[in-house]
Amino acid sequence: MSTDTDIPLRIRSALAEFLGRDVASIKPGDALRDDLGLDSLATIELLYRIEDAFDVEIPDTDLPSLVTVADVTTYIQRTAVKGPGSPSGKG
Amino acid sequence: MTPRIVVTGLGVVSALGIGVRQFWDAALAGRSGVSKLSAFESMPMEAYRSQVAGQIHGFDVGQYIEGASAERVDRFAQLAMVATREALADSGLQLDHEDPHRTGVIVGAGMGGMLIAEQEYHRVYEQLKPNRVVPNFIPMVTLNSASGALAIMCGAKGPNLTISTACSSSAHAIGLAREAIRTGRADVVIAVGADASIVPLTFGGFCSLRALSTSFNSFPEKASRPFSRTRDGFVMGEGAGTLVLESLAHARKRNAQIYAEVAGYAATSEAHHMVVPRDDGLEIAETMAMALRDARVRPAQVDYINAHATSTPIGDVVEIKAIKHLFKRRATEVAINATKSLLGHTLGAAGALAGIVCALTIDRGLIHPTINYDDPDPECALPGISGQAQERSVEVALLNAFGFGSNNASVVFKRFVP
Repeated sequence: MSTDTDIPLRIRSALAEFLGRDVASIKPGDALRDDLGLDSLATIELLYRIEDAFDVEIPDTDLPSLVTVADVTTYIQRTAVKGPGSPSGKG
Repeated sequence: MTPRIVVTGLGVVSALGIGVRQFWDAALAGRSGVSKLSAFESMPMEAYRSQVAGQIHGFDVGQYIEGASAERVDRFAQLAMVATREALADSGLQLDHEDPHRTGVIVGAGMGGMLIAEQEYHRVYEQLKPNRVVPNFIPMVTLNSASGALAIMCGAKGPNLTISTACSSSAHAIGLAREAIRTGRADVVIAVGADASIVPLTFGGFCSLRALSTSFNSFPEKASRPFSRTRDGFVMGEGAGTLVLESLAHARKRNAQIYAEVAGYAATSEAHHMVVPRDDGLEIAETMAMALRDARVRPAQVDYINAHATSTPIGDVVEIKAIKHLFKRRATEVAINATKSLLGHTLGAAGALAGIVCALTIDRGLIHPTINYDDPDPECALPGISGQAQERSVEVALLNAFGFGSNNASVVFKRFVP
């Protein structure tokens, strides 16, 4: 079972892997679009991996509220109830 | 002198009806062809975010075309065959009296034989029977199976092409059919759009892309709502449309009926993004401008625009922005409608079906309603968009079609004046 403290790091790690960047360079306050350069399709691809990793489903209607890395973290902390997967969603 | 190209026959297979008359009557009445998504055998349907689609229920190709040939192609090609059979009858062309090498077929299709593809993937990967793939798999799955089947059905030995540019495919089919005749390669070209890919994988793919409407699953007929404030994605549809194009000289020689002239065409790429249009709309505006220049028509002369308008939050706004940019004051005067409000988005068939609507609109002087336009988005609202059918004489119509892969097409139709 993932713990709340794992979640921020796992999400930042997922982002780092997706973007091919060092995890330390990704800050909770970074905006997915404006700071990390994710366009709408890239955001959907990232959230798909996060859905897989945390076994959650993010409805379309919740997407507009997910602006920053911290928003995603808070969202997953609130909704994820099932067991862990790897941050990449591959495991 | 460059030949003029005219439309002399139409055929439709759609979720609003099979046959031009059925389709057009339903379109003018503002009926929706969107319904609850049919179950995919044992698939857990609740797992799909979107639960609505513009499906053609109860279609049986055997009711329209005799013989085994139509049974041995995938659904999108079957729809194309039925639409083409109607268009040829409507045109009055006697193909056995034509020079077969001067008759071409150009099909626009986005996805290809997706039904057989899924069936056989299942056989190979799930049942682990690679030795039991059906022998007809390759001829059915290939994207040009429809244009091949149509050529065989019609005896058309001229140019036989398939163009695949996602949702703009068959707008290009019309444009390239016109060019094939203008450049002297053919006298008659049958321009077709066809797609039938509402299958578990493709539907799931559009769901994952978050491209489809999800908020109206309990009200399917409300889900496709271009230009509405509450639009939340497109509705996947299926269908086919056929336009018989021929040179004016050829049409005159046989005293054919003429719906409209295909007067201009433009094909561009935004070279921007695989699925998202440029948000300033400038490339779309330039595409429309190029097509109008090709037709030697000024924006102020355009009476009607059949908008691409898929009902996505971004796409509809960008298209209207482009229309305002190019048409200036005329944007508040031109009539605009969204055929996808009625049918959902038929992907590769959308351009041909929109072309048929343009031809009928010019011919009949009636503009079908944009349904579900009951809560206009202020960023999209223009006076020429209406939830009601409009009676209006249309001399010049413009068709827009945009496709994934940064692809744009516009086609200009004019009332035929001898």
